Amino acid sequence: MGEAQKGLLSVIEKLKGTTEKEVRIVLLGLDNAGKTTLLKSLASEDVNTITPTQGFNIKSVASHGMKLNVWDIGGQRKIRPFWKKYLENTDLLIYVIDSADKKRFEETGLELSELIDEEHLKGVPVLIFANKQDLATASPASEIAEGLNLHTYRDRQWQIQACSAVSGEGVQDGMNWICNNIANKKK
Amino acid sequence: MAEDDREWVFESIVGYLSSPIWLIPINEFLETKSLVFDDEEENKLSYTDIHMQYKTLVERLLDNYMREVGISDQQFLDACTSPFAKSKTMQSVFQPILATDDFQMFRSMMVQKNMELQLQALRIIKETSGSLPDSLTDGVDEMKELEEQEISILQDVLKKSKEEYEAQKRRQLLEVETPSARSSTSHKSAAISREAQDTNFAPGQQRNSAKAKTEVNRDSSGSNNVHHTRIVNGSSATEYNPERSTAARKEVKISRLETEKSGALSGSSSTVTPELERNGVEDSVLPAVRTPPRCAQGGGSQPVSEACLEEAHREAGFSKPFTELSTSQQEEIQQRAAYLRLQRDKLHALKKEQQKSTPTSPEVTSNPEPTTTSNVSPEAVGQSQRNGACTPPPPPPPPSAQRCNSSKKEVSAEERKVSADERKQLQKRKHLADKLKEEVIRK
Repeated sequence: MGEAQKGLLSVIEKLKGTTEKEVRIVLLGLDNAGKTTLLKSLASEDVNTITPTQGFNIKSVASHGMKLNVWDIGGQRKIRPFWKKYLENTDLLIYVIDSADKKRFEETGLELSELIDEEHLKGVPVLIFANKQDLATASPASEIAEGLNLHTYRDRQWQIQACSAVSGEGVQDGMNWICNNIANKKK
Repeated sequence: MAEDDREWVFESIVGYLSSPIWLIPINEFLETKSLVFDDEEENKLSYTDIHMQYKTLVERLLDNYMREVGISDQQFLDACTSPFAKSKTMQSVFQPILATDDFQMFRSMMVQKNMELQLQALRIIKETSGSLPDSLTDGVDEMKELEEQEISILQDVLKKSKEEYEAQKRRQLLEVETPSARSSTSHKSAAISREAQDTNFAPGQQRNSAKAKTEVNRDSSGSNNVHHTRIVNGSSATEYNPERSTAARKEVKISRLETEKSGALSGSSSTVTPELERNGVEDSVLPAVRTPPRCAQGGGSQPVSEACLEEAHREAGFSKPFTELSTSQQEEIQQRAAYLRLQRDKLHALKKEQQKSTPTSPEVTSNPEPTTTSNVSPEAVGQSQRNGACTPPPPPPPPSAQRCNSSKKEVSAEERKVSADERKQLQKRKHLADKLKEEVIRK
């Protein structure tokens, strides 16, 4: 049964017959980190009407000849247990941090380290967006990287990128990293 | 692999995907699970679970089929990637399979199904009761009428406001009293501050103007002006945002309460209202409508009132989602939804019954056939549903049902009711077997 299922999945995947390479990206982070804003910014949509996400949003963005399917899942504490369900077959994790919310750096660090240990995310590259750099009280990306002990990650590619989802600054740099990384990784 | 061998596989697959063995479970799944799928942009977490269940279902069905027919995964893939499978007509046949891997495709499928069922339910309601109940028509026609009325009232008010514009000096003096009145009102009702807060979050000028109105309403407390203000509030809100007019109505209700509460506090600021209103309306092209009212209020009171509002927002809790707005509509919507759901459930139960009541026969394939037809064609469903719903004790079958060469729809809808009649059953089976044979031979 297991084998048949595996075969079947690959069948279904190939059935699509798309020439584009599809990449599954999951966008996570605490509530109010700016995930949905980032998602809309990626899709060049209006970022002014965003409300706290109760479920999840999906956008497909074409970039570097690839189709990036970005899944943005709500970050409120009560829905964080659902994150697990979205990690399967993920090619890349984007983790968003509110750089100005120093009080919750510890909490966000814990959530990230839990994600890193997830079976489905083994070896999956991580891009960390140090968001809200437009705020005066935002911590610099290097400081956040240190706080998260990113340098101890040996089993995967990682990158931290300062950005402001509202202004769009830094977002494209992050996307470039993603595309370069995925292009290298996927045949 | 020979070319015609591949062709055979392909045709077999297409045949399977068009057969009741495949269509019935898939259709039933869509019908039972589609209820939660609306066309909001944001997805609910429950969608994912349903998608998973769907995947399992499709996998199980395909797996069984391939094992039964003896097609390997590779053959299946070869067939499906052949040029035939790429054609437009085939795409719709293969869509249910593709949807397992493509959440967005699955979602749109479910949303569509939900709408279909909703429409069916509406039609049935209409046919059984002659017309749609008030709760279901509310948002459309009645609102338009109200809107027109309110627009004419608004015009009157605008005229009046122009006259009162002359009294601005006097008003500014009296304005100083207002903040104290407002601070007490803003404490009184958390609900209204939430309204105000929500509108504050929303950048659209419509909402800002709505907010201005709420503010206005709180300010204006002249006893003779209460009624007047209420109307103004309602009308302008409706005019700006017809689709949100239920919310606006509710807002009106709240603000009326508010106005009455603060009735005695500042008696003579009545003239402010029309003036602010006028600003709100005429300056609505400005990016922020909030500013004009502020200017009109005059210098001294402005910071105080701002602070009060801020406080009110905080009290209401900043984390309140924007969707809070809809709580005002929820009662009405729930009423409608409950009614619709009831109808849908009925419909669903009936469909299920139809399927169950098909006599159990060793020929598995022959029996589901009529059910599919009834499933596929909404007309047929409506027909049988109506029969069942209108006359609770199913009437004795009309003699016409005896004719076995009547249309399939009729067979499925009516003959099933007299499943006890063995003869008819046999006839039906025979008929179906013929049909099936015909189909198989055609392939």
